Parts: sequence; C-alpha cells; structure tokens
Amino acid sequence: MAEVARVAPVARAARVVLARLGGAAFVLWMVATLTFFAVRLIPGDPAEAILGGPGSQTSPEALAAVRAEYGLDQPVLVQYLAQLGRLITGDLGRSYALNQDVAPLLIGQLGGTLLLAVLALGVAWLLALGLATWSSRGGRVAWTVGSGLEIVAAALPHFWLATALIVLFSVWLGWLPPISTPGAAGLVLPVLTLAVPLAGFLGQIMRESLLTALESPFVLSARARGESELGVRWVHAIRHASLPAISLSGWAFGSLISGAVVVETIFARPGLGRTLLNAVTVRDVPVVVGAVLIVAVGYILMTLLTDLAQRIADPRLRAR
Amino acid sequence: MSDLEIQAGLGRSPRTSPSHRFGVAEVLAGLFGLFLITAALFPALVAPGDPLGIDPLSAFQTPSPAHWFGTDESGRDIYTRVSHGTGSSLLIGTLATMIGLGLGLVLGTLAGMLGPVVDFTVNRFLEVLFAFPGLLLALLFILIFGPGVATATVAVGLATAPGYARIIRGQLILVRSSAFVEAATVLGRSPGRILVRHVLPNALAPLFVLGTLGIGQAIVWASALSYLGLGAAPPAAEWGAMLAAGRTYIGSAWWMSFFPGLFIVLTAVSATALGRGIERRMRHA
Amino acid sequence: MQTSGHTHRASRTLTGLVGLVATGILLTGCATTDSPEATEPVSGGTLTYASGDAEPTCLDPHVGGNYPQALVSTQYLESLVSRDADGTIIPWLADSWTESADGLSWDFTLAAGVTFTDGTPLDAEAVQANVAHLQDPNTGSSTGYLALGKVTGTEAVSGNVVRFVLSEPDSALLESLSQPWLAIESPTALARSQDENCASPVGTGPFQVEKWVQQESITLVRNDDYSSPPEDATHTGPAYLDSIVWRFIPDSASRYAALQSGDADVIDNAQPDTIAAAEKSDAIVHLDAPRPGASNRIELNSGRAPFDDPLVREAFIRSANVDDAVSSLFQGTAKRSYSALSSAETLAVSRPDLFDYDPQTAADLLDDAGWTERDSAGYRVKDGLRLTVDFPVSTNQSIPAEQSVFEQIQATAKETGFEVVLSPMDLSSWYTALGENDYDAVSAPYTKVGPDVLRILFHSDGITPAPSGYFANHAQVDDPAIDALLTEAGQVTDVDQRAALYTDAQNQVLEGFHILPLFDQQNHYLLGTDVVGARALPTVSTPTFYDAWLK
Repeated sequence: MAEVARVAPVARAARVVLARLGGAAFVLWMVATLTFFAVRLIPGDPAEAILGGPGSQTSPEALAAVRAEYGLDQPVLVQYLAQLGRLITGDLGRSYALNQDVAPLLIGQLGGTLLLAVLALGVAWLLALGLATWSSRGGRVAWTVGSGLEIVAAALPHFWLATALIVLFSVWLGWLPPISTPGAAGLVLPVLTLAVPLAGFLGQIMRESLLTALESPFVLSARARGESELGVRWVHAIRHASLPAISLSGWAFGSLISGAVVVETIFARPGLGRTLLNAVTVRDVPVVVGAVLIVAVGYILMTLLTDLAQRIADPRLRAR
Repeated sequence: MSDLEIQAGLGRSPRTSPSHRFGVAEVLAGLFGLFLITAALFPALVAPGDPLGIDPLSAFQTPSPAHWFGTDESGRDIYTRVSHGTGSSLLIGTLATMIGLGLGLVLGTLAGMLGPVVDFTVNRFLEVLFAFPGLLLALLFILIFGPGVATATVAVGLATAPGYARIIRGQLILVRSSAFVEAATVLGRSPGRILVRHVLPNALAPLFVLGTLGIGQAIVWASALSYLGLGAAPPAAEWGAMLAAGRTYIGSAWWMSFFPGLFIVLTAVSATALGRGIERRMRHA
Repeated sequence: MQTSGHTHRASRTLTGLVGLVATGILLTGCATTDSPEATEPVSGGTLTYASGDAEPTCLDPHVGGNYPQALVSTQYLESLVSRDADGTIIPWLADSWTESADGLSWDFTLAAGVTFTDGTPLDAEAVQANVAHLQDPNTGSSTGYLALGKVTGTEAVSGNVVRFVLSEPDSALLESLSQPWLAIESPTALARSQDENCASPVGTGPFQVEKWVQQESITLVRNDDYSSPPEDATHTGPAYLDSIVWRFIPDSASRYAALQSGDADVIDNAQPDTIAAAEKSDAIVHLDAPRPGASNRIELNSGRAPFDDPLVREAFIRSANVDDAVSSLFQGTAKRSYSALSSAETLAVSRPDLFDYDPQTAADLLDDAGWTERDSAGYRVKDGLRLTVDFPVSTNQSIPAEQSVFEQIQATAKETGFEVVLSPMDLSSWYTALGENDYDAVSAPYTKVGPDVLRILFHSDGITPAPSGYFANHAQVDDPAIDALLTEAGQVTDVDQRAALYTDAQNQVLEGFHILPLFDQQNHYLLGTDVVGARALPTVSTPTFYDAWLK
C-alpha cells in the first residue's frame, strides 16, 4: 500500500527533520519574546511582586535593592536579551513571587496538568466516537439527537459545567469528591469537565466526514465484499472520518490548557494552568514566560504526534 | 500539511433533509432567531421592565408567573435581563467572530495563495499563536488594555483567529488544486481574477457554517473571561457575565445561571441550524 | 445571643463560648445532634482545613505580612501577648510586662520553660532576634515593620526579661505585639536562609510545619512538647489533633461542596448564601468572627472632585440604600455598621444618625452644591460635567455579595443623579489605579488589632504614597485637627484619655462624611459537626485548633 514512502531517500528525511526543528526553535523564540514584552506591558511593578505582592508597604531601599538584583533597573531591551541568554542555556530564571527557581517549580506542576489533558483528550475521543457511531446508525432521529447533543456540549463553558457537575455528583449524589484527592476518584470530574465540550467539537467535525465516508467508493466496495456492517463502520468509515478530528488534536491540546486554567482553579488541583493564572495576576514574568514555553513545547510535540497519527490513519499521506 | 482534510467535512451538509423544504429544526431556529433579533433591536418590546432595576426585597425568587426566569441576588428580573442582554451578547459574539474570521481570512489567504515562502512564514506565525493557550492570549490582552466589553471582544477575536486561518488556508489549497481552477489557469486567467472569481467563492462557502458555530463559541469564551472577572462590568445584562455571576449561587438559585446559559446554547444551536440550512441552499442553487 | 441548641455542649467548651459571644464572635448552627457521650475530648485524627485565601508565598509572617499568612501561622507560631474576648490584653509567651513612667521603655518577662520545636529555648535573646529580623530591610516585612515603627531597639535585661526601647510612647504596642505578624520564631531557624525559613518556620505553637507542597497543601503535625497555651484556652498540654492538612481551594462553590462532601472539615471565606443554608443544616456549624481594625466601608476620595465637596460626599452617602442591600444579599449573616471601626473593637463609635437612606436630602444637598441640572440619562451635571464616581473594585478582595452591594448602591445613587462606574479589576491593576489617584470611591479592608488603625487610615501622613505606590488613607482625609487627635491618642496610655481621643477622632471622620460604613469585615468559618472546640483568636480572628478535636 505505501511502498512509495519507504523508498524516500534518507537525505530528504533529514531535511524534513531539520526544517521541523528549525521551525520549532523559531516558534519557541517568538513565544518567549511575545510573552516577555506582553507581560512587561501590563501595568504593575514587578519589583512589588518580588517584595510580597501588590500593596506591600515596601521601603525605597528595599525596592531599589530588588530592582538592581533582578536587573529591573536596566533598559527593557537589556532585560530581554539577558532573559533570552538564560533561556538558551535552559535557565528559566527565578520566580518573582514564589521565591523559587522556575524550572523545578513548573516541572513539578506539569505532571498533573499533562495527566488531566491526556485523559480528557482520550475521554473526549471516546465520547465523540461513541456518539457518532450510535447516531449514524440510528436513523434521522438519532442523528438529530446526536448532533444536538454535540452542539450543546460544545457550548458549555468549563466553569459552569464544573460547578454543575460538583453540585450533581458531590453534593447531591455524594459519589465523587469535588476537589483533588490522592486517588483516581478526584480526577473524574475535572476530566469530564474538560472532555465534554471537546467531545462536542470533535463529534461535530467527525459527524460530517462520517457521512461522506459512508457514501464513498471504498465503503461501498467493502460492503460489496460482504464485510459486516460494524466492520465497515469501524474499520473504514470511522478511520476516514476521524482524520479531520485528529488534525485538530493539536489545537485541542491548546484548548485543554486554556480549560485547565479554569478547571484547576475550581477543583483546587495543582497544575500549570493555575500557576499560570496566578503568575499573570501578580506579574511574575519568569513564571509566565516559563509556563508558556512549556505549553508551546507541548503543542509542538502534540502537532508532531498528530501528524504521525494521521499518517497511520490515512495511507495516502505516507507518500508525502 | 493536513489542514485540507479538515474541510473535507466542515462544508458538508447532513443528509437529514435532502429536500429544499424547511425542516422543523430550521423553523424553530428561525423563530428563535426572530425573537433574538427583536430582543436585540427593541428589547422593551419583549420585556418592558428595567434590566438594572433592583428590588432587594424580592431577591432570589424562583421562576414564577411574575418572574418567568426568577430573580437574581438584587431582585432584578432575569427574563428582563436576558432579553435586554441579547443585543450586547450577540454583538460580542458576532464582532469577536468577525474579528477572528477577518484576521483568519487575511492570514489564511496570504498563506494559501502567495507561494511557499509566505506560506512558511505565516504558518510559523500561526504556530506561535497556536502555541499560546487561547485563554492566556485573551488574558494578556485584557490585562494590557484594561478589562471591559470592547477589550474582551477583541481578545476573543484574537484568540480564535489562528484556528480560522488554518482552516481557510487548508480550504484555499484544496480549492486551488481542484480541476476547475487548474482549467482556469490553463486558459490564461490572471491569478487575481482566479482568486476572486473561482477560489474565494468556493473556499469561503464553509466559512458561513464556521461563523455561525463561532458566534456561540465566542459568547462562551467571553463568559469565561467574565468568570475570571475580566469581561463585561457588572451589573451589565450580558449573558456571559450573568452566567458567571449566577454560578456563585448555583447551589441555592440554579435559575440565575441556567437561563443565561440556556440562551447561549440555544443561540449556538439556532445559528448552526440556520447556517447549515442557508449554506445547503447556496450549494444547491 | 444566637447560639441555638448548644445546651448539650460540654461545660469547658461553653466557658470558651460565652467569652466569644461577648465580643460578637458568634458560634451558631444546629448542634442538636451532639450526643452526651461525645462531649469528652478525644485525641487523634487529621483535620482538613480548606482556605479560600491565596496561598502564601512564605509561611513566615514576618516576611510581607498578610492575612493568609496569619491564618496558617496561628497554628504553629505564638506571640508575646494575646487578647481575650473582652478586648483585654492577656499574657501568652510573656507572663507579665511593665511600662516605664515616661512610656519610652517596656520590660517583658517571658514564660518559663518554653522551647521552640527545634529545641531552642525561648529567652530574651530570642525575642531580640525576632525584632531585629522584623526591622531588617532584607526580610521585606511590611505589616510587622510598620507595627514596630516606634521601637528603636531592644535590650536583654536578664535571661528572661527583654526591654523594648521606644522613640515616643506607643499606646498601641501591646495590641501590635499580639498580632500573628509579630509572632516569635526560633532564632536558630531565623538564622537560616530566607528560603528555608519561608518553607518551614519554627515556633512554639501547638503544631509544627511538617511539609509544604506548593499549590497542594501544608501538613502540620502536633507539637507533643507544647507548653504555652494562651490564658483563654480551655485545656493545657499538647493539642488533641494529630495533624492538620491545610489546603487552598480558591473557588467558593467548590470549597463549600468539599465541606458538604466531607472532604474538608473546616472552610473559611464562606459566602452568605452558604452560611444561610448552613444555619438551617444539621451538618454544618457556623463560626462568625469579624476581623478587628477597620469596618468594611466605602472610602470617598476627598482629594479630588467631586468628593472634595463635603456636600457631595454627604449627598452620596444619603443616596445609597445600604440597609436593604445588606439584608437581601447577606441574608442576615452580616449586620449593618455605622462605624469606622470593627465591632470587635471596644472603642468603636457607631453613628446611625449620619447614614440614613434619604434621597430627598441627597437631592437638596446636590442642589446646594451646584449640581442642579440633569442630563438626558438622568445624571446630575455641573459646568457640562456629569456627576461621575469612579469606583475600582478589587475582585480579589471583594466577595461577590459585596460586589452586589456596590451594584445596589450604584442603582439607588443613580436615582439621585450619581453615575457610579464600577470597574472590577485584579489586585495589581487596582493598586495601580489607587496609586495614580484615579478613583473617587473605593473599598479596601484593613485588619489590625486595636483602634490605632484609625491613625493609619485617616492621618494625613497616610496620603503620601510609599515608593511602591501604596498608601492607606484612601479617603485622603487631610485635617490638622484629626491628625492631632490621632497622634496624641497613639501616645497616651491612660485608658480613659485614649478612649476619649479616639471617640473624638471617629466622630470627626464620620461627621465629615469621608466614609460610608457597610458592615464588619466579614470573616466566616464553616465547620463540620464532627469538629468540636475550634474558636477564633480574638486578636485578628484567625482560627486556632489547639482546643479542637474530632468526634
């Protein structure tokens, strides 16, 4: 099926890899630059963040000392270059507000968010696939119900869904804890909160291409070969239909991080999103830049993975 | 890349009503749309009360004949507020979507039409934007320019632009490589003419659906900003802000967030149903 | 007294309660499920505390010095003195104290046999090290630093007597020292790096910090050698609880849900609707502990137009229907205040006569002040300018119910012709707006033990911003008579004379219509009924779990 791909010369592959790496480096550099200047543009004095946050009654000496220590008395451009220099050597700097090095701080927070995002992505896929399969066989009513559910799901704001789930499952039914707990039970509600709206999106996109796929020649020929209806649906149609949704998974990852900001706050989970939100509100530049860079790396990796997944799901792409 | 595949689906119409007659869903969506437009233009016509009029003594009342959707923490009538909030909510949704689509259109067209170098540059730029979580992009923008309806609208537009740009670019590449565009090129038509006459009309048809989906999304986005205290200033009757404010009382007064939420969802659903219907007719025409 | 159904409680708990109720610290809720056999304290168990305040960046309250630090450090740090429910200063780490005749030096005799949890003994040198730490610019102390403003030095008179030397008499010294921000820490621990001390400060308290996982929780374990309870505690010896897990749950709905589901035993920053629901519930007990210091009030900026005109200030105050707003939004959980000071302060002067809702008088006052015309929107106009009140609202500091009060004031003031522009913003932007004098009205909490808070809030010295832009006199009261009263009151240690001066000063502030008092700074804790014996310290109303046990 895909002999073409296998004979591609090594040199070509190397060029692709180099271009990818170069592109990734460029993206990271731009992300760091934009974030640095954006956070510096926000009104508010970073020296205050270092000295105990806004409203602290600091002395002029202490402010001057801190400004000198962190290089805040330097021109912004010098500060930018200094930070860039540190970033290249892998040093994310020291948090203004938390009195800690940024790298270990963020790495400590990364695990929880990543777990949440990956689980939510998985559950969203399951929900979307399940609903699409069910509603594509159930006739017109099932189709309408399915697509209606997807639109409603996609229109649910995380912060509202989270609270509604807490009221239902924690307060009324008492089944699940409303805040993070050591076991897996505490993960259920946050994951659902993130997964349901995303499933609505993926489902909407998949539903359309599922129709196309079900009427396309390769499905007809599979039917003609006498393959079972389930086999046709799952193996051929769904695989084809999931392509556009897979290509959106990179985007979905980004949107999950946005969602994590809200979800981690509501469910009191430690994580990158909550750290990021706190850091932005106290103008903690190194933490914001560091967190955004980590998210950017995650996004780039996710894009690579989705490309790979697409190549597996769609043989035609392997030639490219 | 793979974006062209996205559009394989988005432009498609479900075969649920192959005829040109209006489906039940479309009629219902149309009626609701009519209500929304009336409420947006002449709010006093559908709800004569004052959306900001407080009545502390009748706070937290459950839905009743006197207050169809109940009252909020200051005794304001929620039906009145939802109706009067239609205009600003729709405006936020529509404007943000237009900003997002407009930016996306410019970037997507640049990338899709002007050759590999521009494509590469724009693509990197888009990746940079994509690599920012959308909420953070909006958050930074609002903190720099100050909170409020206007900045929240622009912020949501900015945050959604890269997604639109990618889809548009993919669509353009798909259409450009199609048979009839190649035929036009062979016939010696100028590139500008091909773009305007052939590529754009075909590539942009799905944008309609995308846009209608986007309006509901934009309102939801704006409500997330309100939840973080960065959206419409209280006590403005804006759906997102009402939803965010009502969430505080979700355990004791569910109606405070249910009805604004219901209107957001219904708007999204109706816009989608109508958008698809119109798009289907355009395609068949 | 609103203690419904507490008759089954053990007498030792009751003695504590009676005192609490006396200063308005009320423990309410249905305790009818208390069974008689459960009234004897039992040791053991872990209490989970869920805080809605921000997670501190440093667990040593010397550094910076804010309320979240005070909340948690009350469990592991102790101060030289405390305050009882009547407002009297009582011994704690210091057994006794004497003031010199000229008021320029104070000798404190320390309790015997007290050691910090790292084994260091509590002695005069330890106290000296703490004062030095607070006054060292590198510590970055703001609250503690300000409170020691008149202290020029310390001396070790003997092993267990320490002398504070002052630049001028300080009538607020004992009140200042009772605050958790001036708690006494182990000098050995203070000698470590600030990072280390922030992560694990060492004190003499009933619990000690075991570990701190940021954004997750702080684990506190019992100090088995504990020997220094304050005089108003209900038992002696170690605490009953094995440990406390201190969590941060910023979202109020989740926090309350965690209490309902049993994932938390105690929550703070409870919202009015949940308090009202808890009062009807058998499963939750309500502890109302308004913060000391200032009341929750709207400060009117007399430093710029339109509130530089006292007539306009009075008109605004008369145009605001606060009573209806408070009763509808707080559902009986907060009482209207007519004072600049918290009801926890015995010297608070209440003037209900000045704060009537009276739109007619308000309209007449505006006419007198020259705001005679109205524009098409119904707002008053003078010289082509609309009567606008810029009101920046800190979403970090004002809970939703408070923000709704502001909305209702906005609505009622509109009828008189004021356009109140509410601008919610995050803390940094809010301080920036204040620093740039870009506000007409503002609401800011200020927690401090004792009436000396009046000097901070209303002395004209407080108008000049610190280099960081911070200043406390948001009303920008600039009145030599008030300045003189407050300065003198800060030096006079004669109780009656001090009271007279503060009464005079408060009356002048209130009669000048500089502030619109709303209610006490709300501070509500909700406890599961399995938690017995918890109370709020009458200093800054932080909870202490020394006497607490789990059923």
